[in-house]
Amino acid sequence: MFMTRSEYDRGINTYSPEGRLFQVEYAIEAIKLGSTAIGIQTKEGCVLAVEKRITSPLLEPSSIEKIWKVDEHIGCAVSGLIADARTLVEKARVEALSHWFSYNERMSVESVSQAVSNLAIGYGTTLSRPFGVAMLFAGIDHRKPQLWHMDPSGTFIQFDAKAIGSGSEGAQQSLQEVYHKDFTLKEALKHAVTILKQVMEEKINSINIEIATVTPENMYHLLTPKEVEEVLTLITEK
Amino acid sequence: MGHFDPYDDNGGTVAAIAGQDYVLIASDSRLSTGSTILSRFTPKIYPLSKVTVFACAGFHGDVLTLVKQLEIRMKLYVHEHGEEMSTKAMMALLLPTLYGRRFFPYYVRPIVAGLDREGRGLVASYDPIGTPEFFDYVIQGSAENLVHPFLNNQIGAKKTLSDVPIQAPPELTLEKAVKLLKDSFLAAAERDVYTGDTVTLMAITAKGTETTEYQLRRD
Amino acid sequence: MNPFSYNGGVCVAMKGDKCVAIASDHRLGAGRLTVGTDFPKVFEMGPALYLGLPGLTSDSLTVVNKLKFRVNLYELSENRKIKPHSFKAMLEHFLYEKRFGGYFIAPVIAGLDPDTDEPFVTAMDMLGAGETNEPFAVAGTAEESLLGLCEALWEPNLKPDDLFETISQVILNAVDFDCLAGAGATVHVIEKDKVTTRTIKTRMD
Repeated sequence: MFMTRSEYDRGINTYSPEGRLFQVEYAIEAIKLGSTAIGIQTKEGCVLAVEKRITSPLLEPSSIEKIWKVDEHIGCAVSGLIADARTLVEKARVEALSHWFSYNERMSVESVSQAVSNLAIGYGTTLSRPFGVAMLFAGIDHRKPQLWHMDPSGTFIQFDAKAIGSGSEGAQQSLQEVYHKDFTLKEALKHAVTILKQVMEEKINSINIEIATVTPENMYHLLTPKEVEEVLTLITEK
Repeated sequence: MGHFDPYDDNGGTVAAIAGQDYVLIASDSRLSTGSTILSRFTPKIYPLSKVTVFACAGFHGDVLTLVKQLEIRMKLYVHEHGEEMSTKAMMALLLPTLYGRRFFPYYVRPIVAGLDREGRGLVASYDPIGTPEFFDYVIQGSAENLVHPFLNNQIGAKKTLSDVPIQAPPELTLEKAVKLLKDSFLAAAERDVYTGDTVTLMAITAKGTETTEYQLRRD
Repeated sequence: MNPFSYNGGVCVAMKGDKCVAIASDHRLGAGRLTVGTDFPKVFEMGPALYLGLPGLTSDSLTVVNKLKFRVNLYELSENRKIKPHSFKAMLEHFLYEKRFGGYFIAPVIAGLDPDTDEPFVTAMDMLGAGETNEPFAVAGTAEESLLGLCEALWEPNLKPDDLFETISQVILNAVDFDCLAGAGATVHVIEKDKVTTRTIKTRMD
């Protein structure tokens, strides 16, 4: 398999004779090395849950950030190269604020995804390689709560529930099995941490995961360690 | 060597009244420069979407350019966001659009009128550099000083001593609003030489848009 | 600074059915500073003859006194009361005497003809160019507002009470729009053998 790739996988803007962009495919592969992130959309709001790999006991866990606020009404969870993610999140923030400046209204989650995707596919002009991140945009606009996924190819698609990162295959399978349109936010939280727990190598606790919700009442909210602990009791109680 | 003077005042008056479930926009149709009438039928009302209308007095060249810009912004918005820009968003957009030319302004007196997503009437007026004012009724252009106190008298200040924000009362029906704006333009045409010929009234409700025309003085 | 708007103030007059009304505001200003709130600008020149003089207050008071002098002389030599038409002619002549360096005033006259009871209303510029064929006359710092309101609210053959209501609404809503005029208003409704003078409240800011 790798034999056929070797000739055409250097140029970032070069197709292989079979019509593939290997560097983009490699970037997508790179995501699968990243920590797992899960997003679930419900009628009550959206949930983002990510694992944080604490690689050393001397590491300060709170300094690892994998969920960012884009605007009051949008949060973003990432997996892959975090340095690249910061560039894209910065883009999302600027676009959302620029939309607010022009129209005095919240930018839709879809449009934020579109704007970030425009940067992601334009990697050739800014970067010598594709961005190595997948992103989950969770938010609320005037339509309803919604979840969008974007990968290094710039493709962005709306999901009811989506997992990215190393545990994404198993997690996505589990999400498919449990997901229901009538999920409450609490149920979504419970399933998110349950699935995260299943795919994490470390034992799950309030330090090595990050959770955020986006609801019409509280908009974007990153859960405090205490609140994360409360969520974890949902799966330990029974 | 002539002095560079890129502005003209083409006169004209535009007005709007917002009601609970309608918005009414009016414009005369005279276009003039000094004491010359350039056109007797150029209504200065420009629909931007099904529920949003732009109306503008001032220098007609700048008016036309501004309208084109807003039309472009509306189309781009539909492409980018998959739906028409709301009246509120258009009202917001006009501020940076005008302020972007802070030191070489469009010589315009714009009004944005329309329905919000709940079907209520909204009206905003601006100065040439974008300062917005949100009232339930506005008038801009050459006859504004003549007509504004009249609208104040008939709609806003039932009690002249009141200090409460000026708000159109719920009992101000579309029929009453039509009558008021008709009377306003008849009075304006009587005394303002830059306002006249015809008045176009455009009523927007949930049912759609209805446009009517009435004759004004032609002298 | 424009002498016409230095002290501020407005005056409006309108015809009714066998009656006529004239009103002015009460503000006296010095530029943007209000120095008086009890300063009507309408002066009685005869039993059914009133003169409104917004403009530069010093000129207004001078003109009133000089005109009073001429009216008294006229009435002594003619041995009859002066008619509004004659008073208008006198004022025009008086103002044009100062063709170069005139008084900074905007006169408004309201009266009833003593013989026919015909209402009379006129406004003129500082040099005495007037127009008598209008049913209302306006002058002062809120001239445009007054004109628009008169045009929209006035109707023919108003009885004294309706005329009072109309002219009151006109001056009230006009001075509300003008920061150089306001602080209350005085309205005179002139009928045959009867003048009703009322004070009305306006915003005080």
